[in-house]
Amino acid sequence: MKATRLNLAPWLFLAPFLGIFCLFTVWPLLRSFILALQQTYGPGTTEWVGLHNFRYLLTDPLFWTAAANTGRFTLGSLFVQLPIALGLALLLNRPGLRGRGFFRLTFFAPSLVGLPFVAMLFAPILEKRTGLINATLHRLFPIWDPEFAWMQEYVMSSLILAALWMYAGFNMVYFLAALQNVSKDLIEAAEIDGANAWQRFRHVTLPEIAPIAGFVTLLSVIGSFQMFELSYILLNNTAGPENRGLTIMMYLYQSGFVVGDLGYASAIGWVLALTLMGIALFQRWAARRYEER
Amino acid sequence: MKLLRDQINRYLSPGALVILIIAIVAIIIAAVLPRRTAEGIPMWISAEPHFNAYKPFAREWNRRHPDRPINLVLLHGTAMERRMLSGFMAGTPVADIIEPNIGVAAKAFAGPLESVGFLDLTDHLREEGLLETINGPSFAPYTSRGRIFGLPHDVHPVLLAYRADIVEAAGIDVSQIETWEDYFRVLRPLMVDTTGDGRPNRYLLEAWHTNPHAPSIILLQAGGRLIDENERPALNFPRNAEVLARLITWMAGPDRVCVDIETYSASGHRQRLEGLVIGSLVPDWMAGSWKRENPALGGKLKLMPIPAWEKGGRRTSVAGGTMLGFSRNTEHFETAWAFAKELYLSPVLAEQMFRDTNIITPVTALWDSPIFDQPDPFFSGQPSGRLYIEQAPHVPRRPSSPYVVSGLERFINALAALRRYADRNQIYEEAALRIEAQRLLDEAQVEFERFINRNVFLAQEP
Repeated sequence: MKATRLNLAPWLFLAPFLGIFCLFTVWPLLRSFILALQQTYGPGTTEWVGLHNFRYLLTDPLFWTAAANTGRFTLGSLFVQLPIALGLALLLNRPGLRGRGFFRLTFFAPSLVGLPFVAMLFAPILEKRTGLINATLHRLFPIWDPEFAWMQEYVMSSLILAALWMYAGFNMVYFLAALQNVSKDLIEAAEIDGANAWQRFRHVTLPEIAPIAGFVTLLSVIGSFQMFELSYILLNNTAGPENRGLTIMMYLYQSGFVVGDLGYASAIGWVLALTLMGIALFQRWAARRYEER
Repeated sequence: MKLLRDQINRYLSPGALVILIIAIVAIIIAAVLPRRTAEGIPMWISAEPHFNAYKPFAREWNRRHPDRPINLVLLHGTAMERRMLSGFMAGTPVADIIEPNIGVAAKAFAGPLESVGFLDLTDHLREEGLLETINGPSFAPYTSRGRIFGLPHDVHPVLLAYRADIVEAAGIDVSQIETWEDYFRVLRPLMVDTTGDGRPNRYLLEAWHTNPHAPSIILLQAGGRLIDENERPALNFPRNAEVLARLITWMAGPDRVCVDIETYSASGHRQRLEGLVIGSLVPDWMAGSWKRENPALGGKLKLMPIPAWEKGGRRTSVAGGTMLGFSRNTEHFETAWAFAKELYLSPVLAEQMFRDTNIITPVTALWDSPIFDQPDPFFSGQPSGRLYIEQAPHVPRRPSSPYVVSGLERFINALAALRRYADRNQIYEEAALRIEAQRLLDEAQVEFERFINRNVFLAQEP
């Protein structure tokens, strides 16, 4: 009897959390999975379609366009945004740098305002003729076409640019924190051994910040896969010319709330969630392998 | 007291104490604040000019009918769409009377006919002779599978607004223009490079392959269609390919005459004011919005019927639309219907709506009102109301479908793809482009049909 009471105690303490977790996380997840197997017109009108939504998704050219665009945006985030964030962190981590606090705040500030604000800001900047970029370039180089259509010809590059402005400073803070934990003794030892700046970075700093770099990479991948507000606002709730700005989240939203096909939107959501889960597991596996080495 | 302070200090840090106090104060304020209780039958409206125009009518109605008042509620368009569809699909509270725009209304038709959230008005309209009273094509977007679910608010014919100051200063007479070909030929001398950078500083028509406004208007004018009379996709209709091909000859290549101007933004208004473009396709509601948002254009513009696609062809088109629908679960249909008829058939409201928004009524009997003949200073003294009304009976029919927005997206994507093809191959002749346009539309049609056929509810309908 006593043993039973002891076993119940932790569950009693956990009960409030578990109740909320089940109600607001587990049940919606379960419900969305059921929804992914149905076609609905509201909960009152449903038709069981089994795996049809998933089968359709695999052959849906729009889904694959969205996946390719999301992949491009993710690669842009990883190979443009993160190196710039690391570069800024390395610059700001240099001893004796004056105005360090000012620069940190300046680079970090864009991330305080939120993506919708960034999108609202970049929309006029990227406009034809009157946009800041085209107007400036045309004034500096009259050969530059003021009608250059950033949001038509280079949709993904424009989105990457806008995201870069916002997130480079944000990721810089993580890298900066990691850099400040790199042992100065190790750096000095490498210096005494004759290692140049690149060798010190490659063989001392990089291994030391690898766990944080892995974490930031994972965050960037997840954030990029979930990118929505930026394209939604910059492209005025469209997918852009020839769907060049269509991302997976945008397609999910359009399927669920523009077309009203909640079942298909749920199927897209599950595919996205499983993909991200796979990426996270791969990242964990790769991090472990790296540590073991 | 000391004991209480000790206890508080023991369990709560100063920060937690501040949070607790703020929470308690906020709860008290929320609890004691007076609550606005809305009395009357709710009517959701998403267009502010409509809301403002209806207010005096609702007040007057409520004075005459204190036992069955109407409560006008202004909602943001997206909020109304979400609340309306949630109400129809999931049974959450929804207003008895709803005034959605054409795109939102059509979304209610995606399910089985018996699940459409709007009340079927077909029999009421027929019995009361309203099908003859109201302009026929205006019902089409609110009709699904032969049943009518909305009372049309408008007709929304489209005219061409052109910069009369520039055109007349150049001594050009627009009365000789009948077709688009005439329009571009006659006005071509106005496309000049005033800055010497090798690019024209003035174009002849506001239309672009990435902005659906003008292409969709021209498509309907030319007799093209996205959805056919049976509410099935018709993207690869041969006339659509012809429209795509000709639009590209206007928008690309050495003889380009069109320009991309943001339809609603401040920079778009500025560029129109600066004379970057001579002509724009302007539905009646847009004329009203230009008057409010770009008053400096006043006196510089004139209206004319849209140049025809081909000789003897239609001189107008249609864009936008709003309807009045009733929730199928309303318990106050008689009152709501009586109010709706009074509102939409009222000559006073029709005149006020025209004064405030430039929108002409769909009630054909009211088209004789002298208000439509009054000179409009914004359009250089022309009677803009009469000009729109002259074209109103000729607006093309738009069969409804919950997929009309998706269809338009696919059409615009085909237009953008054709533009890319033209630039890549340096092909800018209509006949040569038409083959590729048809191929693109055939491809889009297959994908669109597959997309629509996913809807098992529509597929089950006879």
